[in-house]
Amino acid sequence: MLATVSSASLTGVRGHPVTVEVHVSQGLPSFTVVGLPDTSCREARDRVRAAVLSSGLEWPQTRITVNLAPSGVPKVGAGLDLAIAVGVLRAGGQLGDGDTEGFAFIGELGLDGSVRNVIGTLPLVAAARRPIVAVAPANHAEAALVPGVDVRSAPTLRAMVDALRAVEYWPQPPPAPIPPAPAPLDELAQVKGQPLARRAVEIAAAGGHHLLMVGPPGGGKSMLARSLVGLLPSLTPEEALDVMTVHSAAGLQLAPGALIERPPFRAPHHTASTVALVGGGSRALRPGEISCAHAGVLFLDELGEFPASVLDALRQPLEDGVVRIARAYGATTLPARVLLVAAMNPCPCGDAGVAGSSCRCSEGTRQRYLRRVSGPLLDRFDLRVHVDRPPASALFSSEATEPTAAVVERVAQARSIAAARGVARNADLAMSDLDTLAPLAPTARRVLEIAMDRGRLTARGVHRVRRVARTIADLAGTEGPVDECHVAGALATRIDVGTSATGLVA
Amino acid sequence: MSPATGDQSLPTAAYLAALAALDGAGPARLRAILAERSAHDAWFGVRSGAPWVTTALGSHDRAAQWCRAAVRIDPGELLATLRANRFGAVDQRSPGYPPPLRDDPDPPAVLFADGDLAAVGDRRVAVVGTRRCTRYGHDVAIELGESLAASGVTVVSGLALGIDAAAHVGALRAQGAPPVAVVAGGLDEPYPRRNAPLWREVAAAGVVLSEAPAGVRPQRWRFPSRNRIIAGLAEVVVVVESHERGGSLYTVSEAISRDRPVMAVPGPIRSAASTGTNALIADGGHVLSRIDDVFALLDLVGTVTVGSPHQRPIADAVDRRILDALGWQPTSIDEIVAHTRLPVDDVALRLHRLENDGVVALRGRWYEQCVVAPGHRAAQST
Repeated sequence: MLATVSSASLTGVRGHPVTVEVHVSQGLPSFTVVGLPDTSCREARDRVRAAVLSSGLEWPQTRITVNLAPSGVPKVGAGLDLAIAVGVLRAGGQLGDGDTEGFAFIGELGLDGSVRNVIGTLPLVAAARRPIVAVAPANHAEAALVPGVDVRSAPTLRAMVDALRAVEYWPQPPPAPIPPAPAPLDELAQVKGQPLARRAVEIAAAGGHHLLMVGPPGGGKSMLARSLVGLLPSLTPEEALDVMTVHSAAGLQLAPGALIERPPFRAPHHTASTVALVGGGSRALRPGEISCAHAGVLFLDELGEFPASVLDALRQPLEDGVVRIARAYGATTLPARVLLVAAMNPCPCGDAGVAGSSCRCSEGTRQRYLRRVSGPLLDRFDLRVHVDRPPASALFSSEATEPTAAVVERVAQARSIAAARGVARNADLAMSDLDTLAPLAPTARRVLEIAMDRGRLTARGVHRVRRVARTIADLAGTEGPVDECHVAGALATRIDVGTSATGLVA
Repeated sequence: MSPATGDQSLPTAAYLAALAALDGAGPARLRAILAERSAHDAWFGVRSGAPWVTTALGSHDRAAQWCRAAVRIDPGELLATLRANRFGAVDQRSPGYPPPLRDDPDPPAVLFADGDLAAVGDRRVAVVGTRRCTRYGHDVAIELGESLAASGVTVVSGLALGIDAAAHVGALRAQGAPPVAVVAGGLDEPYPRRNAPLWREVAAAGVVLSEAPAGVRPQRWRFPSRNRIIAGLAEVVVVVESHERGGSLYTVSEAISRDRPVMAVPGPIRSAASTGTNALIADGGHVLSRIDDVFALLDLVGTVTVGSPHQRPIADAVDRRILDALGWQPTSIDEIVAHTRLPVDDVALRLHRLENDGVVALRGRWYEQCVVAPGHRAAQST
């Protein structure tokens, strides 16, 4: 007796369809699972057997072989439990072939026969490509996000079998779990003073330029970073599906019912490991924080405290917009198009470069601290600003600072100007396109030449400044060539991190 | 009679270097053991643990420690290092010993010199100050150094970063009186290393002095000790910028204890780099309100190579606003934007133009207003 059941398995954030083939034949009772299962998948043998027996169903006392096709692709996780159990029941004749027509099964089984939720339900359901998908009740809402799929769920294997045999109705799905409320975004109006940093945040949002903020604690760097998310445009439906797919694969709780609209904001702690940040892992190839921040903001606070190896692993994803993970048994790409915002202190004590500061770090200590961020990574930041502590007068000033809503409009306008040129983010402008899409007025070129003569700008830096200047021009509504004030503005938001720490220069 | 008769052929410099290389060989101890004996006799006294060494040092332990340490020090090798680097070594009896230090209350017992000791001229002014200086202090130090050297006054300083280095740069620029530097560590190890090129220039044009023998990295105690030599060499000590506490204030107290006049350059009351100097003025120090003032104190009519500070006429009203916001202290672009309420791009562009015109200067992320300095511009254009 042979039965085939549809299911899906996860590699990175991508689901791929898996056909579970169960063969029951005469012979000594045995139960074998083949087709590159990983440990948790191979353990399905024990879980499935116990679940079937606990459900008051019969376990065939024969030779059972389960093949997970395609057999060359490694399968991970316990999400195939349910499909294996249904396959065994069908092969043993306890379920009719017609009962599971058009179904795919995704779920883990408990020894008591309960159906448990799995991570990555969203990409798994999409990958199963069947009209009806049976999942755990906890995954019902998430699975329902996939368009054109009829989702069924039951709390136990027994209830599911009864519903399949049409002796019972499918139980009502439970109310969708409420995901933890997202951290409230900071309103830009709360940031007092800091004209340059506010400006940099606006440019970053408009042009997708990575932003580095250097400054003493208490300057409002984190607040600026959080308010940046509020300036970004809402996600397109395709982006939203990508983001939710990644979040599902990463095991994050998704908001029920609808596509998310706002770009994600992820702020991993500086003790995060390389795998936690860029993704990977021994077999499961889980997405990291940079993928969870896809289409949103990845905020690295205390950049100088991250291990250098972790930071350097970010370089390739930042350049390509995807994480490529290759292992001996397979490779995958994870989406990772993020806006990187980083904050760091200018020195270990944090007070360097503050007028009248009490910083006691020696010059050498400061330089060593700043060198912890490698040059190539530093180079990814188009925008680098110093964020001072605002003076007391600014903190208590009753004068209204520009609220997020006002800046959002300018950002949207700038983005639409860029879109009219066929560019999603000015930060991604190819060097070969700079002359056609971001031409320089003669006066603007002169400003750049002088900056280079003074040794403040390298040849590579020129291109970065030109991209930022293009964004500034877009923000100003200038569609023609980039003007000198745009270039000067771009230069002002590109401090030399090394000398900015040295407040009073030797 | 001597246990090492063969060594008698070595010149005095070898034994001076060997004595100075002993651990804790400060000026007082070295003076004590060199008081009545030649360097040669003193060295062999220390090496053989002669009873008079204990008496001179006033400590049996120290004498015993030196006796043990002396075995590992080879005067011949030290002499070879001195000769390879062309360093001189003098003690108080040597004819080359700087005359101003002969009557000093705390004279160095041994001085090593890279360069010509004759560079210590008849008229000498120390220009000292903080390592963490502002553009303003940096410029004043250069102007002072240049004016003094051009007028034939020896500029004495410490070759540290910041004000010290600027004073030497100014003195070298004038190509007048040779500069004199007093450093804390060994002469073969420029410290801080960033100043090594300047160090070599000073040694080539004038002289770099140190109490420490070659190969010694500057220990902490050697910096105040070095400052006392600067105070001892100078007729007038000018402090250009100093934080509330700093090494230059040690130079000041050494100068005061020697009845040498101290001048301070006034600075903005909110500049951290001027708190020390402003306090000196409040305490009755001489004020250097113009470069000329230092010559008045020396009873000289000097050659002032740079102009007096005054703002250049700026016609543009918006530029004027920016300069007003800038004031006369280092200011970040954030502060300028906050004061003028002009758009960031506009301020950035105007600052860029003002910098091109030489009205403002950017150091790190701080903008500063430049004074009209005809001497500088002449120097730059040639």
